[in-house]
Amino acid sequence: MEEELVKADVLCVGGGIAGLMAAIRASELGAKVIIAEKGNALHSGRGRAGNDHFETYIPEVHGIDREAFIEELLRTAKGEVLLSRDIFHAQFAKAFDIVKLWDSWGIPMKYKGQWEFAGHSFPGRAMTHIKYGGQMQKKVLIKQALDRGAEIMNRVMVVDLLRDGDSIIGAIGAHTREDKVIVFQAKGVILGTGKCSRLYPSLTPGWMFNDPNGGIQTGDGRAMAYRAGAELQNVELPERHIGPKYFTKFGQATWVGVLKDPQGKPVGTFASKPDRKHGDMIMEVNKLVAEQYTKSGKGPVYMDCTEMTDEDYEYMMHWMVHEGNVALLNHMKDEGIDIRKNPIEFATYPMRLGGQIVANAKAETSLKGLYAAGDEAFGDISAAATFGWIGGENAANYAQEVEATDVERARAKIEERKELIDQLRGREGGPDWEETNIALQQVMYDYAGSVRNEALLEQGLSNLHRLKEKAYTVMVARNPHELGRCLEVLNLLDIGELVFLMSSDRKETRGLHVRPDYPFTNPLLNQFHVVQNIHGKPVIQWREIGR
Amino acid sequence: MPPIIDPNKCSACGICVDICTEDVFYGSKEGEIPVVTYPRECVHFNCCVYECPVPGAIRLRIPLPMMLVYKPR
Repeated sequence: MEEELVKADVLCVGGGIAGLMAAIRASELGAKVIIAEKGNALHSGRGRAGNDHFETYIPEVHGIDREAFIEELLRTAKGEVLLSRDIFHAQFAKAFDIVKLWDSWGIPMKYKGQWEFAGHSFPGRAMTHIKYGGQMQKKVLIKQALDRGAEIMNRVMVVDLLRDGDSIIGAIGAHTREDKVIVFQAKGVILGTGKCSRLYPSLTPGWMFNDPNGGIQTGDGRAMAYRAGAELQNVELPERHIGPKYFTKFGQATWVGVLKDPQGKPVGTFASKPDRKHGDMIMEVNKLVAEQYTKSGKGPVYMDCTEMTDEDYEYMMHWMVHEGNVALLNHMKDEGIDIRKNPIEFATYPMRLGGQIVANAKAETSLKGLYAAGDEAFGDISAAATFGWIGGENAANYAQEVEATDVERARAKIEERKELIDQLRGREGGPDWEETNIALQQVMYDYAGSVRNEALLEQGLSNLHRLKEKAYTVMVARNPHELGRCLEVLNLLDIGELVFLMSSDRKETRGLHVRPDYPFTNPLLNQFHVVQNIHGKPVIQWREIGR
Repeated sequence: MPPIIDPNKCSACGICVDICTEDVFYGSKEGEIPVVTYPRECVHFNCCVYECPVPGAIRLRIPLPMMLVYKPR
């Protein structure tokens, strides 16, 4: 297997919003920056085809101080979340600066010359998100990164971090178009690897890439951070989303309509007529509403935009394009669906992984030289942009302080990964990544799904261990592309294992972690549930959140 | 078969092959009309359609299981 050595001060893993912002900031501080992206950075990550809302605090618009804005946010739109307040302070101290920067770079952050607040907010309460024209945001951010001297390596999937003592000193990646590994020597590494799809079945089980995140965000950052010994938290607390049924896409807040039952009665209490400023907040309050209606015989539920004005229609179409939903609009056109006449069925989307890599307000993880930003740490576009920037700044400063460590010190790890890749590529036959992935989804859905108990979790973990053993000994990659998919499945297996272990250790019911054997939410567990790999063994602990 | 290429319009420039993050066109040859090797890995974000320089040369066909559900009027 050919091996290429690449040296940088800062390595950004993933060329999404967080990775690009980190690269931009680190480069302008003088660091030599490489972005390793397993797809193509132009259209990768959750912002790949656009976004239309950016959470921000503008003192002169909100008229309250930052502390009050954050309290309002947590009381209303966000709800109480398991994150410390200093994360929000760091985000909202910086987010508006980022908004202005993006605007100056050519991402239209204003609408008709004004900051336009809409969506994700309750009527009568503080508005939290500005609308913006993000359709071509990746192109703009790539130009900014390249102009500052950052280099982008597309089609390189970072497989594992390289560690020496307590510090991260680089990473090893696999090329997904040729049989080649790339060894990165870097003083600072920023994980901006996104969310995690393909762990649980999609809404269309036969089409596993039908996921609003896209199909190849497979928790790579979480998996490699864990393997390297960084802390993860709350990975057993799943998330769900709501949106158009079967064609699963984000952008629920972009719809100007009311969620209604089959008789035309609103299912929530926040909207009775289309309201372009607020949408229908029932979908933020209860993502499960569509599933609950259907299961209880009251469904299906529909997004009803039929009472919208022509101006509302134009407004919504404008933002649907920027939110990255052009394919959805084209499909409606092809099928003769007109949202002004046809209510669209909405569904609660399947479970997906929650939790994050433990990172502080400086985007630092628990390992020296390792940073995390974007959906691997604190999600949404504003947080990705802001903590990407902050992480890039801190990684660049760190890189100035420390000497590079020769990656040869991690030669044993490099050889171990090369051997794994050789084995996957060298087998004549056997289950491919897809077969293995389907089997994993089955285990996750049946044993760590919407209902969990000790016996289920124990049985599921044992099944998963058998599957993992097979994945390592018989799974086959017929070419470098399938090698990438196989490595993703191995990451998913590691994460799935953690979901089982953490679920078993969380002896309570909380949110979508439902344990009939522990049916109540234990207020004493309003804490971070942290897992760390210590000498190959998962060590789980509870930690106070603090402010 | 999510992306559909019209061979009469496609200029074989290779942009879609280059930019598709899922690499559904893996194995396509330079200077030739792209092949859709991994259609089931398409995520239907329209990125190839955005970047294609020839209008109508590439489009997405949405798989039947993904059809939107709506109330006819």
